[in-house]
Amino acid sequence: MTHTTWQRLKDDRYGIGGLFIVAFFAVIALSVWAGLLGQGWSEVSGNRWESLSAAHWFGTNLLGQDIFQRTLFGAATAFEIGLIVTVFSIVLGTVLGALAGWYSYSWLDEVILWIKGVLDSIPFYLFAAAIAFALQGNRWAMHLAMIITFWTTTARIVRGEVMRIKQREFIEAARAIGLPDIIVVFRHVLPNTAHILLVQSTIVFVAAIKTEVILSFLGLGIQDGVSWGLMLAESSQEVLAGHFGNFVAASVALFIMLMGFNLLADALQDALDTQRVNS
Amino acid sequence: MTDTALTTALNVQGLSVWIKTASGKQQIVDNISFSIKAGEATGLVGESGCGKTMTAFAILGMLPAAGATLESVAIEVNGRDISSLSSAQRRSVLGRDIAMIFQQPGTALDPVFTIGQQITAVHRRHNRSKKNKHRQAMLNSLAQVGFDQPDKIAAAYPHELSGGMRQLAMIAMATVCKPAVLIADEPSTALDSGTRALVLKQIKRLQTDHGTAILMVSHDLSVIRQSCENVMVMYCGRVLEKTDCQSLFTHARHPYSAGLIACIPQLNARSASGAKAIPGQVPAPSAFPPGCHFAPRCEHAASQCDLSVPGFLAENEQGNERGNERGVACFRPL
Amino acid sequence: MTNTHIAATGLPFIVRRFLHGVSLMLGVTFVSFLLMVYFGPDKTYELLGKNPTSTQISEVRHTLGYDQPFLLRYGNYLKELLTLDLGLSDSTGEEVKSILTRTLPISIALVLPGFVLGNIIGLLLGMLAAWYRGRWLDKLLMSASVVGMSVSFLIIIIGLQILLCTPYGLNLFPVRGWQVHDLPSYLYYVTVPTLALLLVTLGYNTRFYRAVMVEEIDREHILTLKAYGTSPVELLFKHVLKNSLIPVITRIMFSVPFVLVSGSLLLESYFGIPGIGLVTFNAITSGDQPILKAVVGLTGLLFVLALMLTDILYSAVDPRVTRQ
Repeated sequence: MTHTTWQRLKDDRYGIGGLFIVAFFAVIALSVWAGLLGQGWSEVSGNRWESLSAAHWFGTNLLGQDIFQRTLFGAATAFEIGLIVTVFSIVLGTVLGALAGWYSYSWLDEVILWIKGVLDSIPFYLFAAAIAFALQGNRWAMHLAMIITFWTTTARIVRGEVMRIKQREFIEAARAIGLPDIIVVFRHVLPNTAHILLVQSTIVFVAAIKTEVILSFLGLGIQDGVSWGLMLAESSQEVLAGHFGNFVAASVALFIMLMGFNLLADALQDALDTQRVNS
Repeated sequence: MTDTALTTALNVQGLSVWIKTASGKQQIVDNISFSIKAGEATGLVGESGCGKTMTAFAILGMLPAAGATLESVAIEVNGRDISSLSSAQRRSVLGRDIAMIFQQPGTALDPVFTIGQQITAVHRRHNRSKKNKHRQAMLNSLAQVGFDQPDKIAAAYPHELSGGMRQLAMIAMATVCKPAVLIADEPSTALDSGTRALVLKQIKRLQTDHGTAILMVSHDLSVIRQSCENVMVMYCGRVLEKTDCQSLFTHARHPYSAGLIACIPQLNARSASGAKAIPGQVPAPSAFPPGCHFAPRCEHAASQCDLSVPGFLAENEQGNERGNERGVACFRPL
Repeated sequence: MTNTHIAATGLPFIVRRFLHGVSLMLGVTFVSFLLMVYFGPDKTYELLGKNPTSTQISEVRHTLGYDQPFLLRYGNYLKELLTLDLGLSDSTGEEVKSILTRTLPISIALVLPGFVLGNIIGLLLGMLAAWYRGRWLDKLLMSASVVGMSVSFLIIIIGLQILLCTPYGLNLFPVRGWQVHDLPSYLYYVTVPTLALLLVTLGYNTRFYRAVMVEEIDREHILTLKAYGTSPVELLFKHVLKNSLIPVITRIMFSVPFVLVSGSLLLESYFGIPGIGLVTFNAITSGDQPILKAVVGLTGLLFVLALMLTDILYSAVDPRVTRQ
């Protein structure tokens, strides 16, 4: 990021707030992975549906598991899903989008566009269920389903950007001196898409986490471990009986983390968009 | 027609505009005053960024950006002060008593409505009671600007017409309600020379046949010379000289005006040097020099010019029957 | 067949879009067929008793068509789709066609109010935000949108349920079910799902429409209109709106298939509403292939129709779009 961009980002208080929230949850996730927090998520350490107490900060759930521990672990799960889906779908989308854009209107572009069209036409949850079924309940089925469908938006954006950048003179110059296409694309074209990709990453992260919530509700989510989605799914029956622990914990945690990412995404967008008119 | 020749169609007094920028509030139009009588055409000439287009918008009460403020002593159309009107009242004046045509007719017209629809809308807005006359008025207006088949033009969309035709259509829209004042903002700049002549001819016709007062804003001195009787030279938000076109070209009094005229390449120039550019660059509003804005670039500047702002000295030339304002804002006029 | 190749043939516009849609449908049905049928459950052993002999096994496989080559099976599938020979449900034995005709109207009735309201209100709020851009109303609406975007659909549903359907809240509406026979009962059952759909989509819609409107409001012809005394209301609703119809139509048309299937899926499984989403979902978990094949075909068809309709609408509303 250039200096002015960084400056604008630092001036945006909401963006900085978002960044802190994301960092906060990232630290929690790392701590869980390192074995420092949330390790007691599956332990039955109390009676069912205990209310808030010193021993159980958020109370317990139906099985007597500590909700606070589960919430912490859920942060790690969210990050795991978010990172894996985001990294892979952005990479895949960038590569395919760049190819499509660079060789635009060629058969390669048409094929990639057609694949995008087909994937966009398939209702996502059906697709996720089908993949889960095809992989026979493999743990990674959910990630795979998301990666396969999420790359299309990134690809569309990258394709458009590459087509625009292609026209610019410094690219013509690079080609005129005989640089092979691959080098031109990777060293000159793609770095100019980096800012858009950054914004897109945050958006995909949010989408991945939100999707996991619904998949968990439908029973297609993670099978081992716990996620906020699972906690919400559990709570859907509980709340009718008046037990709100799971619901509140998962909702609040999810909301704060998503807000953090959304604010960050907005701030990045604003900081990188040099043409934007502020009041 | 002889009666209206004496009416002041447009009278602007003390118009100033400020905009809000990253570095604070900048004044981009500084206390401009002028008047145009019915049937007269006055040019407002200056380089890009001197504030002439902003002046035009300010007269209409339209300041494009948030954070822009306008102050004026008076803006009168046919004697009526429009600057003190409420926005609803002003809307009834715009298009009816005073109208504006724009530089890029391609983008100035709404692409999803036909020419006819757009012109009739203007007529309908200002003539609510006359049903069924709108279409006729629209067709008349189109015919008057020179279209042989006005109904065909009326059914066309802007993108289906050429640049020159669009500009003529804009003129038709501007004049369908027979306004007293027409502001033309670079009307011919985006056109090729053939259509340019056509458009300028139409504007002239309004002036002579309908007694419309014309304010023509342009950076192109030759266009102004061709179309206007009077001219105001503007630089960095201030009017530096006001005179009739003839006098400007034979004997400009402000160094800047003289410099502008020297910039025009003459086809029959004897010397090989051609046009002479004014040294230096136009300053940005945040960097306007104190004192005379032109002083840093002026060959004739003295220390007085850098320190204080020369006021506008009006003078009435002997033998000038019109009694128009003439004058120059300079401590050391040529 | 790709778009460029089709374009090269010079066929009329409608035909080209149709062919493009067909090529998409082929892709969709192929992928779905591959996943669900080829990788799906092998029903051979369900139909047999204990200790089946190899001849019995091969008989059953033959009946089920498992021994045919892949492309042949795919071809049969396409034929069945085209002739609407959709067979019987594996789980209930009911005719798939009648299942679809029974459940589809319910899903539409469930999703339509929320979808329509979500877009209309989103459009209006987007216009407001764009008009007062940079001022407090804009910032308020944008903040509210970000909040809306940060809340999961599930949270909204559960939250609304608590608020409106339980004794812990207002207890005005039912927790589940769909006993609809007249308007009051329709309103009784559809209100909470509609509110949920509305709240979920409003944030995204408002932001999107605001962006579209902002771009349109900045255009030069708006300046001209102002110079001729056009009132703000007329500016927004007649001129800005008409000029932004293309992105608006695009968004609405392309979210229809999505909302109808995925949106109904969640709402129906949560509220126990017997619509097509729920039926599909049950079919997936139980491996009910006839239903799955039919639903995939249906969604593909919806998407193609939406695609074609979109292009027709484009040329109808915007004179700059010409059919080559």
